Amino acid sequence: MPTLTINGKQVTVPAGTPIIRAAAQVGVNIPHFCYHPTLSTPGNCRMCLVEASDARGLAASCYHKCTEGAVVNTETARVKAARQAVLEFILVNHPVDCPICDQAGECKLQDYYMTHDHKPSRVTTAKNSKSKAKPIGPHVVFDGERCILCTRCIRFCDEITGTSELTTEQRGDHTEITTFPGRELDNAYSMCVTDLCPVGALTTRDFRFKTRVWLLSSTDSLCTGCSRGCNIHMEHHEGEVKRYRPRLNPEVNEYWMCDEGRLSYQHHNLGRTTAIRLRDQREVQWPRAARQTAEALTAAVAKANGQVAMLTSPQLSCESLLAAREFASTVLGNATVYVGGNPSGGNDAFLITSDKNPNRAGVVQVFGPAILANTAYKLLEEMEQGRVQALYLMRGELPFDTAGRARFAAALSRVALVVYQGPHGLDLEERAHIFLPSATHAEQDGTYVNETGYAQAAYAAVPAMGQALADWDVLSRIARAAEMPLSFDSFDALHATLAATIAAE
Amino acid sequence: MERVITANWHVEKAYTLSVYQQHGGFKSLKKVFGMERGAVVPELIKSNLRGRGGAGFPVGAKWSFLPKGTDVPKYLVVNADEGEPGTFKDRFIMERDPHRLMEGCIIAGFTLGLKAAYIYVRGELVLATRRMEAAIAELYAAGLLGKNIQGSGLDFDIYVHRGAGAYICGEETALIESLEGKTGQPRLKPPYPAVVGVFGCPTVVNNVESIACVPLVIERGAEWWAAQGSEKNGGPKIVQISGTVKRPGTYEVPNGISLRDVVFSDLYGGGPLDGRTIRAVIPGGTSCPVLRADQLDVKHDFDALKEKPFETMAGTSGVIVMDETVCVVRIAARIARFYHHESCGQCTPCREGTGWVSKILDRIEAGGAKRAEVDQLLDIVNNIRGNTICPFGDAVGMSIGAYLRQFPEEFIAHVEQGRCTYPAW
Repeated sequence: MPTLTINGKQVTVPAGTPIIRAAAQVGVNIPHFCYHPTLSTPGNCRMCLVEASDARGLAASCYHKCTEGAVVNTETARVKAARQAVLEFILVNHPVDCPICDQAGECKLQDYYMTHDHKPSRVTTAKNSKSKAKPIGPHVVFDGERCILCTRCIRFCDEITGTSELTTEQRGDHTEITTFPGRELDNAYSMCVTDLCPVGALTTRDFRFKTRVWLLSSTDSLCTGCSRGCNIHMEHHEGEVKRYRPRLNPEVNEYWMCDEGRLSYQHHNLGRTTAIRLRDQREVQWPRAARQTAEALTAAVAKANGQVAMLTSPQLSCESLLAAREFASTVLGNATVYVGGNPSGGNDAFLITSDKNPNRAGVVQVFGPAILANTAYKLLEEMEQGRVQALYLMRGELPFDTAGRARFAAALSRVALVVYQGPHGLDLEERAHIFLPSATHAEQDGTYVNETGYAQAAYAAVPAMGQALADWDVLSRIARAAEMPLSFDSFDALHATLAATIAAE
Repeated sequence: MERVITANWHVEKAYTLSVYQQHGGFKSLKKVFGMERGAVVPELIKSNLRGRGGAGFPVGAKWSFLPKGTDVPKYLVVNADEGEPGTFKDRFIMERDPHRLMEGCIIAGFTLGLKAAYIYVRGELVLATRRMEAAIAELYAAGLLGKNIQGSGLDFDIYVHRGAGAYICGEETALIESLEGKTGQPRLKPPYPAVVGVFGCPTVVNNVESIACVPLVIERGAEWWAAQGSEKNGGPKIVQISGTVKRPGTYEVPNGISLRDVVFSDLYGGGPLDGRTIRAVIPGGTSCPVLRADQLDVKHDFDALKEKPFETMAGTSGVIVMDETVCVVRIAARIARFYHHESCGQCTPCREGTGWVSKILDRIEAGGAKRAEVDQLLDIVNNIRGNTICPFGDAVGMSIGAYLRQFPEEFIAHVEQGRCTYPAW
């Protein structure tokens, strides 16, 4: 455990720690491009050079290990001059096309130029030409001229995904990142290279030219694509979710997320059904919709002779599920609760899990493990045998293939009253007697329990679209209209109840 | 003077085992087999044999850094990627006297307990490769390579590996990467090859001439060897003279001979061409800072050339001579273009800086540059120097910087006259 002094501050770190990490511990930020804590250290950008008493010349702080008694200075004139020199060298062949670069605003080269160089250019010579706007895979575009050759992307594909699609070709200032012949950057995590890329050399085809990043607001949220529950920055502008970016959580997803999950932001914007639709098809506002739904449900439950069902979903947050539990026992008169959700899919040994729902563990927490026996398939059989008179559907995701969904849709016609609450109409909306639009997880707060039992919060990022409301709010309004109000009247109260319930059970 | 290293160069068919043995070959190996294993390294240290690849690191010391008593295999890598412009000595050793190199390898193998030697030879040196491959085949047939060589208990192999034409692969860690089948780019150090070398194993990397000298040190004795040169620069060495001299070529000289003698002596360079005056001399390959003609009274060895006011290096002893007909700006531009072409592209200052420097020098040489760019140039090369992963950046900084330091008036003249006044090549 060597103890060393960095900018006058003493720090003790485990043997083998590079200076850059020890510096971070005492709040000294050393600029760097190629260093990344989870990747190997090539020491090639030379941006992190510092003065260390145990080094000949300047030391690359990403690589130079801390030694006992070393004195490190990161802000001397010599270090500053070296940083300026490195930035100047990078800019010799850099196109400085920030106005049309998607990275502008979140570019380390821009940031460091402003903080560490900020001098007019002395470059009088012509710049090299390299690949421009070259798609190198289904999701990623490459710009060779912006590239600073930090090789993070290559190391990511070598060391994290193990797919090794990328390498460099040519030599000197003609060096370019490229895929191996006949290959493309096509792995399940390929877009992570765009997060790693400190400049605008690698950008996603999806986000390209969509929004200037400085217009984006960011909300801490989760990816709901599978039961991993990758932590994300949900980034949005003018009420529309624009992209997901992985948010560091060493326990769950580290710095990464899969491409499928990253692109799943689109479900917040696409295929939404955001208008209330009652039986008479007329435009209607929530008070009336709640009243009519309450009336229809009360009547149907009274006639149903106990043959009432509710389909919940592991797509829902724990809070929504808890509200549903109460709703099922009061308004729906002890309805039988079933569990829907997306069908399971492929998984891998890294982040992607086979359960394509974010909160199955939460369903178990709220309803108890026995609930899992009440599958959507069981509900389907009950419906087909005419044993369901009233059905309350929360979310339309079903663990069926296309044929199974068609069978389910057909079986709905045997149910006297179908109320469907969800953010997307999917193919079930027209079969339901009442459709109530609800919010996606971008539009409401919620807690999700991932596969390993890790409870995580996702916060509302954007206002709910159209007439959509938070799931708990929809249920609460109907319950109030049915004069059986739920035991909470706000999300915070619901969240507190959830905490108390889980603690008690 | 007596030829030692180059003794066999003019012997017919000295590249065959029988001729090599007729001229005393493999006596040193026999002597080493009779010595204590631990006795060779002190002998080398005493001999002051310095590495002949450019840096002049003492060979004995380098060998002593190899960890002892480990189970992992250890290797010798012979750097035969002779690529420094102005250097042409190793190829003659390999072409004309390959068995001396092999003998040195086997001595290293016995002394250091090595598993094998890899000779990484510059791809262009086809004859050298063929001669070495033939030599190795002869040695296996004669029982001087393979299992239990001459009953010594030593199992040792030698492999020849051809490079693919990158100057940077002469840098020892880039060479190792290339040998392992990877892109030839230098590694971060430490660890040094003595700890983590080829295939992750301890490795000693030596130049061809250094290894070829080892049997001679054993044969003649460390005292004799040390007495041949200047202080701490033992033995004879091979200088190569090119450029505007009467007798360009490869000569064996005592270490520490005056640079003036190398250039002017009738035994060696023979002085300038008739009616010409020498203006500049590069003492050891293009990476070494250039000297003016009035700076030649200096011992040509690894230490004296480093001192002020010379501040250059003996390098590979590839002496390049230029007379008054040569435009030094054009030389600097040409060398810069070489560095631009050969920079591996790994780290920023060298990758971007070499191209920038080359372009500016081309502008200056063509007469299109402003005065400010000349001043900038020195700043730029100093920014490359010392900030890179490997010594390539230092070489750029030192060599190009020296032209600016030694001949500033030439650069300014180009800018002021807006053209180069020297005849085109």
